[in-house]
Amino acid sequence: MKNDLMRRAGLAVIAGGCLLLGGCSSLGAKAWDRDLMARRSMQPVTHPLIAGADDHIYFSKEGASGGRTFDGGGCGCN
Amino acid sequence: MQLNPRKGRLTAALGLMTANLFAGALCAHTAQAQDSQNASQNINDDTSTDANLTRVDSAILFYQEANGRVKAIEPVTSVTLNDDSGDSLHVKLTADTLTGATPNGAAPWTAAQTFVTPSKTQGQKTTVTSASGNSQLVTIPGTDVTARQYTTPANTLPVDSGFRDQRYAIDLGYTGTLDNGDRLNLGGAWSTEHDYNSMSANIGYARDFNDKNTTVSAELNFEHDTSKPFFGTPEPFTEMSGVSKGGNRTKNVVDFVGGVTQVMNRYWLAQINYSLGDTSGYQTDPYRVISVVDGNSGAPVKYLYESRPGSRIRQSLYLGNKIALWGTVADVSARLYHDSWGINAETLEVAERIPLTSFLYVEPSYRYYHQSKANFFHDYLIDGQPLPAYASSDSRLATFNANTIALKVGMRVLGNDELYLRAASYQQSGTSHPASAIGDLKTENLFTGVKATSVILGYSFAFY
Repeated sequence: MKNDLMRRAGLAVIAGGCLLLGGCSSLGAKAWDRDLMARRSMQPVTHPLIAGADDHIYFSKEGASGGRTFDGGGCGCN
Repeated sequence: MQLNPRKGRLTAALGLMTANLFAGALCAHTAQAQDSQNASQNINDDTSTDANLTRVDSAILFYQEANGRVKAIEPVTSVTLNDDSGDSLHVKLTADTLTGATPNGAAPWTAAQTFVTPSKTQGQKTTVTSASGNSQLVTIPGTDVTARQYTTPANTLPVDSGFRDQRYAIDLGYTGTLDNGDRLNLGGAWSTEHDYNSMSANIGYARDFNDKNTTVSAELNFEHDTSKPFFGTPEPFTEMSGVSKGGNRTKNVVDFVGGVTQVMNRYWLAQINYSLGDTSGYQTDPYRVISVVDGNSGAPVKYLYESRPGSRIRQSLYLGNKIALWGTVADVSARLYHDSWGINAETLEVAERIPLTSFLYVEPSYRYYHQSKANFFHDYLIDGQPLPAYASSDSRLATFNANTIALKVGMRVLGNDELYLRAASYQQSGTSHPASAIGDLKTENLFTGVKATSVILGYSFAFY
């Protein structure tokens, strides 16, 4: 059941990804409209050390890891 | 896992270094700002590029779990050198100091439980005091083997209070921009603990499309880890004892992350990642046991070292969004996760950065996490029944929910710097009293999840 759900989710994402890539040419902002995108606050990770600490804590306390980047491994993490 | 004085000094030195960086950076930066007569810029208008700048980011993490469990202090410093073409070199140094008590995997019981585990101290019979004051050295009858013995009171989660570790890590990364604008990342990491070593190397490639509105990236990471408890690694499903075990064990990890980042419009940046990871080798926790209980009363009969599969395939799908509206920036992300151990997890995170003044902002955030249990998770095993192929009572492999609420505050002190503070409260909730519990185990809290608070204080600045 769960596997089926994940498979469907995977297909949906692949389809979404294709749509995203195919439709990308109609998306976006012109160079003169990228003032907000250029801001540090709009970057996917604004505080790398906080993101790194969070990844490490969640890696050591939860079963799932990774996603945004590689998981926060590299430790025995008792 | 006792503290090594030399490494203790190293941690102190790293802590001091971080503190000095905080203080020194402020002083140096004051002088620089005065020299260049640059007025401090609005912290909410900071750009993401650090062309020709060297950025120093230092932080210290304080982490504490409730009920005297794990406590960690982690100073970290990173330095990134950038040139005007987008190339950068990155170095990060981390030191962890961990102390406290960690669950040993046994189920709680209505009477006190005594556990015997190998001791680092051989040839001595001296009573020692642990954090909980219930740990002592004993000689195993009929042998000259010294073991450590500790007792857990009735109706209490069995924890080993002798948990102490230190971890040092270095991360290196280089990003180069090719003639056609593509970016190539090369990196490596190395970390060491008393009982664990890890080394990894990664390579990544990114290309822009559609007038730089679309970025496609792919990264590969290779990791090799060695588990080396001082007493060796126990054979799975052997009985817990004070004698030394087998040798060191290793595992290899290969991770792939492929992603697309898309500027949707002037206000909205979206990111989608697919991750695939393959871990092979030793993934069992060498310190963790599982109770084997009487099938009627639930009373513990013996404690066996746990056993996990040697292979794990992990997949995840991550969708992130940054949305700038009315001066604020919203961060909304979701992740779906599935692995070959049977764990399925869903994660949702939301954060809203709210400017208060030109030099101050706040960012409250919330994270929801849910996972289903691994297919070999058991709270305990039943005496007399055949052993399964694998079994672990680790709460990280159980079904549970987790909630994190956090608040970040960022402040400009001078020029292009930022002083930031993030406080977070994390709590797991799971099935404390499963309906299937046997005998008096029905009255015990069988969920061993954590409740933790953390505070990170950091300071970042850039200079020519």
